[in-house]
Amino acid sequence: MAPRLAIPALAIASAITAVLAADHAAGGGLTSYAGSSGAAGTADVLAGLGLVLAGALAWAQARTRLLGLLAMLAGLAWLGPDWEGWAGAPSLVRSLGAAASFFFLPVLFHMSLALPSGRIGARAGQLAVAVVYAVAAVVSVGGALFRDPFLDPYCWRTCSENAFLLHADPGLASALGEAWTRFALATGVVVVGIGLWRIARATAPARRVLLPALVPLSIAAAGEAAYAIALLRTPLEDPERAGFATIFLVRALSAFGLALGIAWTVLSSRRARSSVARLAAELAEAPPGGTLRDGLGAALGDPGLEVYYWLPGSERYVTADGTPADPPAPGNERAVTPIARGGRTLAVVSHDAALLDGRELEHQIGSAARLAIDNERLQAEVLAQLDELRSSRARIVEAGDAERRRLERNLHDGAQQRLLAVSYDLRIARAAAESDTDPELGRLVTRATAEIEGALGELRELADGIYPSILTEAGLAAALESLADTAPLPVELGELTQERYPAAIESSAYYTVAEATHDAAARGATFAAVAASRSADRLVISVEDDGTGRATPLVHVADRVGALGGEVETGETVLRAELPCA
Amino acid sequence: MRVVVADDVMLTREGIVRLLQDAGIEVVGQADDAASLLRRVRTTRPDAAVVDIRMPPTHTDEGLIAAGMIRAELPEVGVLILSEYIEPSYAMRLLEEHPERVGYLLKERVFDVALLVDALRRLGDGETVVDPTIVSRLVGRRRRHDPLEELTPREREALELVAEGLSNKAIAARLVVTERTVEAHVKQIFMKLGLDASPDSHRRVLAVLAYLRSAT
Repeated sequence: MAPRLAIPALAIASAITAVLAADHAAGGGLTSYAGSSGAAGTADVLAGLGLVLAGALAWAQARTRLLGLLAMLAGLAWLGPDWEGWAGAPSLVRSLGAAASFFFLPVLFHMSLALPSGRIGARAGQLAVAVVYAVAAVVSVGGALFRDPFLDPYCWRTCSENAFLLHADPGLASALGEAWTRFALATGVVVVGIGLWRIARATAPARRVLLPALVPLSIAAAGEAAYAIALLRTPLEDPERAGFATIFLVRALSAFGLALGIAWTVLSSRRARSSVARLAAELAEAPPGGTLRDGLGAALGDPGLEVYYWLPGSERYVTADGTPADPPAPGNERAVTPIARGGRTLAVVSHDAALLDGRELEHQIGSAARLAIDNERLQAEVLAQLDELRSSRARIVEAGDAERRRLERNLHDGAQQRLLAVSYDLRIARAAAESDTDPELGRLVTRATAEIEGALGELRELADGIYPSILTEAGLAAALESLADTAPLPVELGELTQERYPAAIESSAYYTVAEATHDAAARGATFAAVAASRSADRLVISVEDDGTGRATPLVHVADRVGALGGEVETGETVLRAELPCA
Repeated sequence: MRVVVADDVMLTREGIVRLLQDAGIEVVGQADDAASLLRRVRTTRPDAAVVDIRMPPTHTDEGLIAAGMIRAELPEVGVLILSEYIEPSYAMRLLEEHPERVGYLLKERVFDVALLVDALRRLGDGETVVDPTIVSRLVGRRRRHDPLEELTPREREALELVAEGLSNKAIAARLVVTERTVEAHVKQIFMKLGLDASPDSHRRVLAVLAYLRSAT
């Protein structure tokens, strides 16, 4: 509880400092930039006060507490030069101000990686931030211990006593100062790069969250880099000079912009949190119209959000519609948050890390909402089982077809070839019998030949009935033409698709027409009109006849087509089947 | 007459070879797939090739493809396809691609050596050969308003022989009438069915087959 109070107290203290700074700017008692002109003074106060207040705002909310801390630190560091240049202040305050001012840029660097939450996911990022802080600390402490402002030829704002001075070493002090300027230039450029890179890489909804803070942050970092360049070119810093004054204004105004951006980020995250809370309440009260995925996605403005339900029975994840899918591995941009109930994982939510904090989500969803999510999970499980059932039905049809094809092929390659071979031998035997002038033997052989010819014909019909080989070899259109050749009634072929389709689709279309035409003949029809055409991702088969009305639907056709995920509509003399063929 | 025989089933191939040899036809080469068939045909330049429709590797339409290649490369070599299938589509595909010196017979036609030899001789004369079962299947197709009913029995007989690929002269011999009578019959048939009277006797086979398939 203590830091929750202490930090806002510190914020208020620094706010007072800023106000005093403004006051002094008017009276001319301040030697920092803020004292150089009215505009500079106003911009300076807006920047410092803005950052501190935006930080306090962020601090008040758990999700952005770290960001708040960073913003307040940035504000204090920003105001460091004003303390340092405050002529009427005790030397301890002025010296502290001088030491603090080095930390503004490191905090910008930290924020560029940590926005919007304040936390840095990648280990390398954490390390880089630590290094930059360490360098700033070395320069800050080194300056405090060894720099005597009275011995610094370029000193203009704090030609006062250094309260921490241990040993005046002008050479070391100016070397440290120059090293810092170069380091600040490099760091400023890196921050601009990070800012642009993150903006470019972010998803659209994440960009909406990041842009308001990242853009002014990048400009502020560019300002710091420009300031460093100016210092390297003109070591004697003069706030009255146009170049320095302009750079200061850019730095101050972009820092103020950053403060506004942080405030915006905090408010929008609060909005996201309250919409998640509302959604959780809705889930608890009654099942929402859409799924949890749609609700959460809309609440957070994250269209890429996905919910994966855990099925403990089959040990896998499925989406709300029952499709098996594995949640993505958590990365920098995407977070994966599990939602548990009574210690069991119900689902995991994969979402844009910039839009929502996972722990926040877990916190907002209450036990009643968890019950609703568990129900959704059960529903997804049923859908997944239904899907499995569907594909198993399709597999049964395909296996049946494959078996029929195998039988047909065996009849052709086995029995038919053997009968043909026997018939050749018989033919030669007949020739021999004729030359033997044994009429009885000749008659016998002739009869056997006729028998074999009959057997071959029957075998061919049998094989064709088992599976018409022309369907595999030439496709649906040719097979339907062939069907019309031997149909028990006139078959008028309308539009016929010439495309090839998966074997199971072609055979189901063929058997549908075969059954429907036989049915038409059985009902006394004088003709059947058949068409097979593609309509988007469906193969549409229609058979129309003029027979008496159909008493029962063609269950066999409906089963076969249904097994492949298609539909059959039957009227009295009309049949229409749709088969998926994406 | 010199022929090459191609069939991947040795039993069948040897049976056909023996029957042809008994009928006095010289078998100058045997092959068990399309590639070796093409090699034999190139080296021996036979009068005709007797080709199984199904051969390795896919056992689907290799025979038809090989027929196309032979006809394109060596136009003087006739191709007789032997098939287990009464499939008008296959016969029509063969005729569409190469309307001359090609034939489509059911395998068991080979029982009737006279018919087989006659078919090979017809190919040598530049005619086409379509198995009678295929023609009778197309003629027997059920139609709502059958235009074939307009034909006299004699004309119907002549139509079937035209569809089988016979020339007017051969039809005349078969029906024991003069060639002029056949010409008159054919003219009458084409008029009644509304077909263009084509002077090209090869093209008329396909025209009649296509008509029989599409008439409803």
